[in-house]
Amino acid sequence: MSLRKIANVVGLLQAFVALSMVLAGGVALLYGDGDAGPIFLSALITAVVGLGFYRLTRFEGEITSREGFAIVTMAWTATAVFGALPYFLSGTIDAPVAALFEAMSGFTTTGATVFSDIEALPHGILFWRSLTHWLGGMGIIVLVIAVLPYLGVGGMQLFRAEVPGPTPERLRPRITQTAKLLWLVYVGLTAAETVLYVLGGMSLFDAVNHAFATMATGGFSTKNASMAAFESPYIHWVTIVFMYLAGVNFSLHFRAATGRFLYGKDQEWRFFTGAVVFTAVLIAMVNLASGAYSPSLSGLEPAVRHALFQSVSIATTTGFVSADYELWVPAAQMTLLALFFLGGMAGSTGGGIKAVRVLLLLKQTANELRRHLHPRAIFLARVGKKPVKEEVMANVIGFVVLYLLLCLSGAVVLSYMGLDLLTALTASLATVGNVGPGFGMVGATENYGWMGSMELGVLSFLMLVGRLEIYTVLLLFHPELWKRRRSYH
Amino acid sequence: MNVLVVGAGEVGFHLAQRLSEENQDVVLIESDPERADFAAQHLDVITVVGNGASLSILEEAGVKGAAMLLAVTSRDEVNLIACLAAKRLGVQSTIARISNPEYYQRGSVLSREQMGIDLMINPERECARETFQLLRSAAATDVAQFADGRVQLLGLQVKPGAPVAGKTLLQLGEELSHRHYVTVAIVRDGVTTIPTGDSMIREGDQLYMLAPTNEVQDIPPMAGHDRFQLRRVMIAGGSTEGEYLAEVLLENGVEVTLLDRDRRRCVQLAESLPKALVLHADATDLELLEMEGVSGVDGYVSATHNDETNLLSSLLAKTAGARKVVSLIHKFEYLRLVPRVGIDASVSPRMATVNAILRYVRRGRVMTVASLAGIDAEAIEFRVDAASRVAGRSLRDLHFPKGSVVGTILRDDEILIPRGDDRIEAGDEVIVFALPDAIAEIEALFE
Repeated sequence: MSLRKIANVVGLLQAFVALSMVLAGGVALLYGDGDAGPIFLSALITAVVGLGFYRLTRFEGEITSREGFAIVTMAWTATAVFGALPYFLSGTIDAPVAALFEAMSGFTTTGATVFSDIEALPHGILFWRSLTHWLGGMGIIVLVIAVLPYLGVGGMQLFRAEVPGPTPERLRPRITQTAKLLWLVYVGLTAAETVLYVLGGMSLFDAVNHAFATMATGGFSTKNASMAAFESPYIHWVTIVFMYLAGVNFSLHFRAATGRFLYGKDQEWRFFTGAVVFTAVLIAMVNLASGAYSPSLSGLEPAVRHALFQSVSIATTTGFVSADYELWVPAAQMTLLALFFLGGMAGSTGGGIKAVRVLLLLKQTANELRRHLHPRAIFLARVGKKPVKEEVMANVIGFVVLYLLLCLSGAVVLSYMGLDLLTALTASLATVGNVGPGFGMVGATENYGWMGSMELGVLSFLMLVGRLEIYTVLLLFHPELWKRRRSYH
Repeated sequence: MNVLVVGAGEVGFHLAQRLSEENQDVVLIESDPERADFAAQHLDVITVVGNGASLSILEEAGVKGAAMLLAVTSRDEVNLIACLAAKRLGVQSTIARISNPEYYQRGSVLSREQMGIDLMINPERECARETFQLLRSAAATDVAQFADGRVQLLGLQVKPGAPVAGKTLLQLGEELSHRHYVTVAIVRDGVTTIPTGDSMIREGDQLYMLAPTNEVQDIPPMAGHDRFQLRRVMIAGGSTEGEYLAEVLLENGVEVTLLDRDRRRCVQLAESLPKALVLHADATDLELLEMEGVSGVDGYVSATHNDETNLLSSLLAKTAGARKVVSLIHKFEYLRLVPRVGIDASVSPRMATVNAILRYVRRGRVMTVASLAGIDAEAIEFRVDAASRVAGRSLRDLHFPKGSVVGTILRDDEILIPRGDDRIEAGDEVIVFALPDAIAEIEALFE
């Protein structure tokens, strides 16, 4: 474990963060809201510190997998800290922890905000918020790997630690090529969504920002009422489609782009899509039956649209809101809450437990049930036709247990800080899963601005742990990681 | 014809024996001096001690003048190299015993043709195929297929009170004139006879009957056996044979329970056979077998690598009430033991290999030969060409030698059950059953 290597890579990454701040500064200059100065200043500080570290800590040799974990965690922490500078220096957020929360929420694509009046924010800051989503969605390290081959084999270690899902899939023999292809698909889909938004009458600025937030499964909006501010069903439908696409494994998109449609062959895809559609149908029926939407022909489209929108939004962990779902009957709300435990597909930009893990866990549970009938039987869980190794299964079970434990611990800690039961629980679930909005005082029309620094600090940590799939971050707290392995030569 | 056989294990020894009995000149190459010595003492063949894949040994064995090389050691690579070398040295046809599917399936580096090997025989797969046929025809102790599976031979015991018992073949022929079948052999007290019209069938006889595959299910009731459908099979032992058998059964919609005592092997099996129920258990653990419902299975196959375990496991299953019990037997000496201890049937991977190779060796006009475990008679499939002496003549005129019978004539898509005045025509495929003494004469007739 070499601190030198960690500092070096983390420093280099900050140069990229600074570069993206310059982009936001450019947007600020364009609109002249007076926030260009603080953003450029942030970029300067970030660049000086980052490049300083990078220049002072040149190293020889490879990055080990242990260092990989440390680098990824440190890089994300540093990125959030520097990413908070524009909010703090521009004075849009006064409390440093709140600024950190907003930046962390952006990069981890959670979409929880401390702003109550978003529309009052200057354009540069708004754009920076969306940009943090977009960079964090596909993974800032994956971006660097795509651009800079210098990390070499070590790149694989970082890639593994950052990309969501149990086992990242390689599209090409070289990790640099794989990273490039993933970003290519990502950029393409973002561009397509922007165009569709503009065609639907959205301003270019809103279109770009919402496309960033959708494709990253983030959830920051430029409007106070989130997607409910746009009354056009067309815009809602476009958002549903792209939220859904962002929640699907990008390797499948890449293959589709090369002419091979393998969606239907992928069992995780069938499970994910089936679960989302099933809950949406349930919610739509409950809402129609309860009279939340008029059970007539004119009420059918909004009922279906909002049910699907909210289901896709929560399942993919985007967190956009098209209607105040807290006004729905408890049955609809509870169904939605259940989706907090699904998450997007592995290899997507979505967070949460991930559909494939849930699927595997269900299969394993079914097998345990069968084991009572055949105590000596060997049962293997499979995804599609591929058998899952017992070690991978153990890893998945460990992950889900840790995930639930983390949600629970988070909720307990928040309740000790004075939050009510529903708020504490759903805030914890919404941040670990990188969803954004929850229920109660963090519900559809609420925000996190009323919380104190303590609460926001805890939630920032939960977002980071959730985004990096728990193991990566928690490993840093394991004493064995830091033990020097003795070498005799 | 000079034939080189590489490897004097059970397969090689048996092959050499059979070929030598049929007047072929056999040279047997074996690396183990003791085994070579044993073969030299028991068989009418020349033995050469050495590595069959080595050039000098092949030359010493007379590879230059040989018409055929059969590489049947238990090692795939040795067999492959021996065949490759033989082909280069001008041997016309080569046959290799290959167990690893990677060498003959698609995805192999060199195709069979590129390696110059005329036939690759997989003992385990042959064995699985044979076991499956045995299971499917529950009453049968022997099953063989002819004409690409369009005709089947069934060997089965005549039960007390069976409709055919106490009748001569002529009587039966009149009663069942609408049915297509031929009785080709009867084994009574260990003696095989090729029956004539006057032969009488008795209770307890072992009967061999030939019929078109779609009518084969009518034969067991004639011999007093129940009709039967294969639904659930338990396989004890996750050997390669067991795995292949499970594959075939699952493809045919049969429910399969497979058990092995090595846990890692179980995991492999569970990976490759998603539909099978794989148990980590011993083949002789009766308590477990009963818990998993061995008493209700239609078929039970013991397929471990150990013959003694297989026999014991089969007996346990039979006692527990499994319907049809088949045991995998590797040692030829044990094969005769099987009917005596009450196990329904046995399959020998090596015998299956020997059969498959003999079938090919006698190709040309001869297409298929089946050696059956329980009897001395052989089934030989001939193709008749226009120049043949038998073409255009009726069976009555041909005077088939004693100890032989024509089972079936296949003409285009038609399956003929022959009567005396039927004619053999050019292009026909004829299946003849014969005792060993009559084989040479039969072959001369079709020459």
